[in-house]
Amino acid sequence: MSLKTKAVGASAPDKKTPLAAKIFLGVVALYLLVPFLTTLVYSLFVEWTDVLPSGFTLRNYAELFTNSTFWFSIGRTLVLCLVSVAITIVLLLLAMYVVVAVNRRLGRFMQFVCMIPYALQGVILSIGIISLYTGTGTILSNRMFMLFGAYTILVLPYIYQGIRNALNAIDANMLIQAAEMLGCGRFRAYVQVVLPNIVSGILVSSLLAESIVFGDFVLANNIAGTNYQNIQVFLQANMARSSGLSSAIVVVIFLVVAAVTALVLKLQHTSQNK
Amino acid sequence: MAYIEFRDVVKRFGDNTVLDHISFGIQQGDLVTLLGPSGCGKSTLLRCLSGLETVTEGQIVLDGRDVTNVPASKRNIGMVFQQYSLFPNMTVEQNVAFGLKMKKVDPATIERKVAEAIAMVELSGKEKAYPSSLSGGQQQRAALARSIVTEPAVLLLDEPLSAIDAKLRKALQSRIREIHQELGLTTIFVTHDQDEAMVMSDVIQLFHSGRIEQAGSPVEVYTSPVSEFAASFIGSYNQLSASDFTALTGVPVPQGNVIAIRPETIGISRERPDEKDAHLVDGTVVDSTPRGNVLRYTVRLEGGTTVFVDVLFRSFHMFDRGNKVYLSLPERDCLVIPVNAASARTAA
Amino acid sequence: MADISQAGATLAADAPASGAGRAAAHASAEKARPPRGRKWVGYIAFLPFLLVIVGYELLPLAQLVLDSLIGKESGTFGLENFVKVFTTPLYQQSIINSVWISLVSAVVGIVVSFLAARFAYESSERVRNAFTMVLNMMSNFSGVPLAFAFMILMGNSGVLTILGEQWGIPFLADFDLYTGEGLLVLYIYFQIPLATLLLLPAFSGIKKSWREAAIILQASPLDYWFRIVIPNLMPSILGTLSVLFSNALAAYATAFAVVMNNYALLPLQITSKFKGDVQIDAATGGALAVVLIILMVICTLINNYFTKRASKGREII
Repeated sequence: MSLKTKAVGASAPDKKTPLAAKIFLGVVALYLLVPFLTTLVYSLFVEWTDVLPSGFTLRNYAELFTNSTFWFSIGRTLVLCLVSVAITIVLLLLAMYVVVAVNRRLGRFMQFVCMIPYALQGVILSIGIISLYTGTGTILSNRMFMLFGAYTILVLPYIYQGIRNALNAIDANMLIQAAEMLGCGRFRAYVQVVLPNIVSGILVSSLLAESIVFGDFVLANNIAGTNYQNIQVFLQANMARSSGLSSAIVVVIFLVVAAVTALVLKLQHTSQNK
Repeated sequence: MAYIEFRDVVKRFGDNTVLDHISFGIQQGDLVTLLGPSGCGKSTLLRCLSGLETVTEGQIVLDGRDVTNVPASKRNIGMVFQQYSLFPNMTVEQNVAFGLKMKKVDPATIERKVAEAIAMVELSGKEKAYPSSLSGGQQQRAALARSIVTEPAVLLLDEPLSAIDAKLRKALQSRIREIHQELGLTTIFVTHDQDEAMVMSDVIQLFHSGRIEQAGSPVEVYTSPVSEFAASFIGSYNQLSASDFTALTGVPVPQGNVIAIRPETIGISRERPDEKDAHLVDGTVVDSTPRGNVLRYTVRLEGGTTVFVDVLFRSFHMFDRGNKVYLSLPERDCLVIPVNAASARTAA
Repeated sequence: MADISQAGATLAADAPASGAGRAAAHASAEKARPPRGRKWVGYIAFLPFLLVIVGYELLPLAQLVLDSLIGKESGTFGLENFVKVFTTPLYQQSIINSVWISLVSAVVGIVVSFLAARFAYESSERVRNAFTMVLNMMSNFSGVPLAFAFMILMGNSGVLTILGEQWGIPFLADFDLYTGEGLLVLYIYFQIPLATLLLLPAFSGIKKSWREAAIILQASPLDYWFRIVIPNLMPSILGTLSVLFSNALAAYATAFAVVMNNYALLPLQITSKFKGDVQIDAATGGALAVVLIILMVICTLINNYFTKRASKGREII
């Protein structure tokens, strides 16, 4: 075997990509792209029963964009995204103030409870909430209340991590102490000195959280179902009815999430370069 | 013929020539240092000898065999890297045994040789430890044991001590030197630290941008640098330009040369000394810094140039800032050296 | 999703650092402590968070456990529901199917992504960045949209199915997406980008000098991979494997969109007990949910153990 270790092969990893790597990565990338590309092509043609599809058309998109149910579901999805992520950010920033400025021992507890949703994921979370509140006859049994509560928990790990990493990166405790020496109150220091410094960190993790809420089907379907249809539930409801329309919905959903992902990657890239 | 021969070795990375026609030989059993600033090509030459890099042109001969195109695994070489080269999933013992296992040596022999090598680098008791639990110095000892246990034809050390703190480095330098003498193993040591090169080597090859600037024993290289570069890299020579030196002493110096004087050869006194065979200049002490057993004065001469003067640290004989002093520069210690070695070679 | 391991790694890695930080913070807090009577005021900011956590995370969990422990028939406290879950063929099958599909998709996913990460690691930066971009994008392609895309591709009248019939490729023509095997193909699909994104950082921990040292010590490429690279990556591989396993175990949308409730799978069965067209059966659903939770917790513990070990090794070396 060792005969094959040619001196050339032994030299530092070449900047050139080996052919085997190119082929393997190409095949994997293709495999990952094919389902989406097929859907894209499918959405743009009338028929696809031969090797090549026939009859280019934008009919599916025209139909989708004139469908008011579609726009309502997009609107609901956006409301869910923005409101629940905003709630989580506010809750976490307030709680983090206590960890940073009042009692650091709470940090452990916070970390623990914020990581639980990772392990739970949607199914357990949604049925737990349903089981707890359905039929209690209070305002808490309102489906919207349950849904926002569930989303708040769903995005908790992502936003928590973003905020915590940002706070660690700027050494928030030291900043607050420095501000205190200058006669600034702790909470004021947190709001005026610490928060402006972690905005970009929060932004990235919030965007990530938005794309998670946008892509959620489990919570929306289990808790709200047809009462408050988000885009994913809308897609699921249309799948059996019209595959042309559904393929257009899939393309729209993917493009939106891809755009958010691209933004996240770009923001991460620029913050790394700094 | 020498044990290792580099014949006209050229190495290029793209348009960048890293080794520019290197030729020299290494005698069997010598400890040779490749010394030079980072990026001068010394590590690349070592890697060419190991087979981890191929040469662009030229020939490398090891023990009478042309190894230029022999793969690294067939050259019978031991190598210690800068750091992080121990396999973290193996204990010290397993790391040291790895090369013997690859050679399919029988287990009993492996066990004996591994124990010997570990004892030789003074790591006994750490056999079962994983690299992550060892200090940087211990890791490099283990790496050393791993590379000598296979009884290589030559041992290559690529800045093995550069990531280790000063005190431990001293101890490891002498340990490597001792092991070299015990085993009589031809050893090539790459470093950018001139003190390290002085302490360890039989022969120093001083590198400067892909070429060998000067070769010789530590004493030769230290006492007679061949160029301005060699003088500034080895020791801390004072360098005076030809015109400054002529202005101060009245002695003419040929163009294209500088005068180099080691700080410890300069005499310093309050009264004008009566010395023969020395140039006398006067100046003002502007600073003094204790450096261990030596006290270093910074003296400003007429015309504004400053020189360093080293004297033994003795409390009864000290100058303060602002003192007027006389410096005597012994004629034989005022080395006239060319600004660069190339012009020296053509002059000679 | 890719942040899971990152979370684990940072959690483990900064444990000692935060310890020191806490000590320092404590020392300075001694000096700059606010007046005693006002200290409790600071805790008010923690209350909203606490309320939401209790109301929508901890209590729902407790409710499920409670549901599982109150017998469906007897109405008394005990393990009756669990006995029922483990003796009813449908539920047994659900657990077995869930574990099987999760395990197989995780193992296949890790093998493919190990090779992908390895090749990406050996590639030029340009190729690696492009590949990582595809991974990042396609890791979002999951759930209902993914299920739909596969239906178009391999469903009853899917593009590949029709082509398979025309060209006489039985594998494609006879492929049935609406079975366990069909789901498996889907699950493997969404495991690959996630797994590769999790494994790539581990490869950057492989030092160039290991390879060079191995070559000089006369190791063959096989020796190098099997004695050095793979053992060193093992913690990351096993940690990723457990993430993939739990990821598949809890996946709901993909499976639901393909087979609705017509396949015995744990998440589908659990959900149908709470959201069925029939009567809600919190007792059985709760017990099934607790089984799922236990499986997930085991995975998380395994992952934590390995990320801790992985980061420990890297930290000190």
